[in-house]
Amino acid sequence: MHQVRTLRRQVVSTVAATILIAAGWAGAALGFQEAPELKALAAAGKLPPVEKRLPREPLVLKPLESVGTYGGTWRTATFGGGDSEIERSIGYTRLVRWNPEWTEVIPDIAKSVEVNDNATEYTFTLREGTRWSDGAPFNADDLVWWNENVLRNTKITPAAPDWLIAGGKPVVVDKIDDYKVVFKFAAPNGLFLMNMATVRGSDILAAAPAHYLKQFHKDFNPNGIDALVKAAGATDWAQLFNNKIGFPGRWRDLGRPTLDAWVLTAPYNGTTQVAAERNPYYAKVDTSGNQLPYFDRVTIDVMQDTQAIILKAISGEIDMQNRFIETTDARAVIVQNQQKGGYGLFIARPAWSNALLITLNQTHKNPALRAVFSNKDFRIGLSYAINREELNQLIYAGQAKPYQAAPREGTALYDEKMATQYLEYDVKLANQHLDKAGLTKRDAEGFRLGQDGKRITFAIDALTGSPIQVDALELIQRYWKAVGIDMQPRPAERSLIFSRLQNNDNDGLAWVGGGGYDFLGLLDPKWYFPHEYESSFATAWGLYYQNPKDPNAQEPSAAAKKQMDLYQQVQKAPTLAKQLEAMKELLAITRDEFYVIGTNLEPDRVGIVKTNMRNVPKVIPSTSFYMTPGPAKPETFYYK
Amino acid sequence: MAGFIIRRLLYMIPMMFAISVVTFIIIQLPPGDFLTAMTARLASQSETIDPGVIAGLRERYGLDQPWAVQYWKWISGILLRGDFGQSFDWNKPVSELIWARMSLTMVVSVTTLLFVWAVAFPIGIYSAVRQYSVGDYFATFFGFLGLAIPNFLLALVLMFVSAQYLGQSVGGLFSPLYINAAWSWAKLGDLISHMWIPVIVLGTGATAALIRIMRANLLDELNKPYVDMARARGLSEIRLLLKYPVRVALNPFVSTVGWVLPHLVSGSVVVSIVLSLPITGPLLLNALFAQDMYLAGTFILLMSMLTLIGTLISDLLLAWLDPRIRNG
Repeated sequence: MHQVRTLRRQVVSTVAATILIAAGWAGAALGFQEAPELKALAAAGKLPPVEKRLPREPLVLKPLESVGTYGGTWRTATFGGGDSEIERSIGYTRLVRWNPEWTEVIPDIAKSVEVNDNATEYTFTLREGTRWSDGAPFNADDLVWWNENVLRNTKITPAAPDWLIAGGKPVVVDKIDDYKVVFKFAAPNGLFLMNMATVRGSDILAAAPAHYLKQFHKDFNPNGIDALVKAAGATDWAQLFNNKIGFPGRWRDLGRPTLDAWVLTAPYNGTTQVAAERNPYYAKVDTSGNQLPYFDRVTIDVMQDTQAIILKAISGEIDMQNRFIETTDARAVIVQNQQKGGYGLFIARPAWSNALLITLNQTHKNPALRAVFSNKDFRIGLSYAINREELNQLIYAGQAKPYQAAPREGTALYDEKMATQYLEYDVKLANQHLDKAGLTKRDAEGFRLGQDGKRITFAIDALTGSPIQVDALELIQRYWKAVGIDMQPRPAERSLIFSRLQNNDNDGLAWVGGGGYDFLGLLDPKWYFPHEYESSFATAWGLYYQNPKDPNAQEPSAAAKKQMDLYQQVQKAPTLAKQLEAMKELLAITRDEFYVIGTNLEPDRVGIVKTNMRNVPKVIPSTSFYMTPGPAKPETFYYK
Repeated sequence: MAGFIIRRLLYMIPMMFAISVVTFIIIQLPPGDFLTAMTARLASQSETIDPGVIAGLRERYGLDQPWAVQYWKWISGILLRGDFGQSFDWNKPVSELIWARMSLTMVVSVTTLLFVWAVAFPIGIYSAVRQYSVGDYFATFFGFLGLAIPNFLLALVLMFVSAQYLGQSVGGLFSPLYINAAWSWAKLGDLISHMWIPVIVLGTGATAALIRIMRANLLDELNKPYVDMARARGLSEIRLLLKYPVRVALNPFVSTVGWVLPHLVSGSVVVSIVLSLPITGPLLLNALFAQDMYLAGTFILLMSMLTLIGTLISDLLLAWLDPRIRNG
C-alpha cells in the first residue's frame, strides 16, 4: 500500500549506470585518487588519507565529456554586496538538486529520497562517512538539530519559509538511524524537493553543522554567548546566529564548515574579491575515482558596475560565466571579442519565455480603467495592434520571435495555442476588437473614450534599469496610438514600482517573464494566475491569494479562484506527472483568460567559457530557480 | 578666540539635531522600506523571496513601527551608547562598515587632493603671470577640457585603455594577485600602479576649476598698486609674487576647505562605482538605493558633521591667514 517514488540519478536505472557504479566500487577497492596538494598533505600526516575523507560510497559524477585533470583557478565576477552568484557557483550543494538539463530532481548529498503517496513524508538516506569541510562527520543528527534548534526556534526563525510549511506547521525532522531521516509535514507538500533544489534549499545545510553553530546558540552556550555577541557587534544572539546561517552573512564567515566543492578563503565583504579553495572532504568522485573538484581555486571579483564585468570578460579575466554579460546590449561586444578574450560561447537559455510582456491591472482602483482592462476584447485588440516583427528587428536584432506569455516550446506544459494566439499584426482586427469592447467614441485627437466619456489613458511602469524595455515600450506606445489608445510609458525605480504593486496602485507593468521552463512555471506561477502582488495583471487578487485579509485585497473572479484551487492541487500532488496534469488544467484557464499580453520570445543569451575549459554543457538554463551554473556541475569542469 | 570656538561648537548642537531629523525624514520619504527594495531587487533578477520570511524580517527590523519610534531608537543609540545602529543589508554595525572602508577612502581622497594642489597651484600662478602666453592658452584649453569631460566617462575610457593596452586588471585598486594578500612593499607598489586612474579621474575636474580660480584671483591682485609699490622697492619677482598677491588670492580656497572634508568621504561616488573601488562611495549609494536607512542616515549625518567642522576650520584658517579678517 505504501507506494513509493524513488528519485535516483537518471543513469542509475540504466545498464550503463550499473557499470558506472561498479567502476566506482572498483575505484573504492583500488583506492581513490586525489589532487596532488592534498596527497602531499595526507602524506605529511596533516590530512587523513583520501579513503578516510570520502564517504564509503561517494556520489559518482559522470563528467560531461571526459575525466579531467587537477589544477587551475575558475575566475568569475559578481556585482555588489548581496548578489547570489557566490551561492550559485560554489554554494550549490543540497540534499537533492536539479539535473543539468533541468528536467528532474536528483540526489546530491543524500543517497536517495523516498516520498510517500500523499507527499507528507520524505525519507532521505544519507551517505555513511560524509564529512563537513573541517573533517567533522555529517549525519542525521545535523539535520535533526537544524530542525529543532534553528527552524523551529522562534527566536531565530520568527516565521518559517512557506516551502517548509504545510498545514500551517513547519516541517518536523525525525531520525530513523544515523544515516536516515524523515521530513514530516502536517499536510501534503508536493513541491518540497523542487523548492529544495532552488536557491531556497541552501538554507538547510548552511544551518546544519551543529558542532560549529552550537557556540553561537544561546541554548547550547548560555555562558559564552554574550561575549561573542559583543565581539561581533550584533544586537542580540539571534541576529548573530542568523548572520552565520543566512544569506549573504554566511559567505562572510570564514570558519563555517560546508559540504561544498570549494571552501571560502576570502569572505564576501562586498568590495574586493571572494576566494575559495578545494574542499579536501568533498564527497563526490568522477567515474575514475578521482576526488572532485578539479579546479584548485575559485575567485569571484566583486564589481560595483556591470560594465566593468563586461570589460573584464572581453579582456579574458573571466573563465566561465553568463550572468551580467548576457544582456542584449552586451551581446555584440561579447561575441566579437571571443578570440582576444580566449573564450568560446555557451547558450544561457532564459528560463522565462517573454522578453517583454505587458500587464493591465484588472483590479484597478479606478472603476473606469478596471472595466476596460477586464474586457478580454480590449486586451485582444491591443495584442493585435503590436507589430512584434518590427519590435524584434529594432530591439532584439532579429534574434527573438513573436510569442505570448506561455511555456517554452519543447516543455511538458507547452500549449501551441496559448503561445501563438492573437500574435498577428493586424490593425483592422485590433480596431474591430476595441470597438467590440464598447470603445467606439473618439475624441478630437482620435483617442478612444471610455464609458464615462473621458479618454482612456494609462501608464505602464518599466524599470529605469532596463533601457531596452523602455525603448520597446515607446514603440508599443506608437502602435497603440494608431488604434486610438493613449498609453504612457513610465520608467520608474524598482522600489517605487514595487510599493505601487503592494498598494494596488499600478495601472500596468512591462516586465520579463511569463513561465517558460516547466519547473519555473510550477514554482513561480505569477504570470499564470494571480499568485501574489507581482501578478500585476490582477494585483489585488494576488494579494487575496497570499492573504485574504490584506487591506488591498479583492475577491477574485470565478476563473481565478478555480486556478487558485488548481494550484493548491499542484502543491499537494505527490508526483511530477500529477503536478503537471493539474498545471495543464490551470494553464488552459490562463489561455482562455488571456491575462497578459506577450510580445517576443526572449532570445537565447550567451555566456563565455575559456576555450580550454572542458565538461561545460552547450546549453545551460539561466535563472535563479535553476541556480545557474550550479546544476551544470562546475566541480567537474577542468582545463585541458 | 577660545570663546569664539566654544560659541561656534555650541551652535553646532541644535544644527546637528535639525540635520538628523531632516535626514531621517528624507530617508523615510520614498515609498516602501528596505524590504520592499530588497524584494524589488531580487525580482529584477527574477528571484523571489518567501512572504513569510519578509513578514518575520519586518518585525525583526522594527520597520512596522512609526517613524518617530524608529528615529528615537536610532538617535538614542547614537547619543547614549555611541551605537549607530545595524545595517539591514549587511547585518553588521554601521560604524564597522564605514570604518572598514575609511582608510582606503582617505588614501584615495588625500592623494587626489595633493595631486590637484600640486598641479593646479603652479599652473594657475603661471597662467596668471604669463597671461595670454602660449602656455596660458595651453593650460586654459586643457582646463576647460578637464571641466567639460564627465568623470564617469573619463573613468571608463582610462579603464579601457589600461586593460587593453597596459594589461592591467579591470577595476579595483589592486591586481588579483594582491587583493587578499597581507600588506607588503609589493602590494603597496601594486596599489600605486593602480592609483593613477582614480587620481586622474577624480582630480581633473577639480584641477581645472582650481586653475581657473587661481588665475582669476591672481589677475585681480596683480594690477593693484601695492604690487607696483613692492616692485618699485626692489623686491625680487618670485618673493613678491608669493608673499603678497598669491597670499591674498588664497582666501577663496581656504574658505572652501569646509567642503573638502565631506568631499573626502563621498565626493567620488560615481567614479568609485565605475572603477569598482573598495571605498565608501558605492556603500553610500547602495545604502540609499536599498533604503538601508541606518547606514544611509549615518552617512549623511557624518557628512553634515564634517561640513560643520570643515566650515569652522576654514573660518579659523582664514583668520590665521588674513590679518584683515583676524582684526576686523
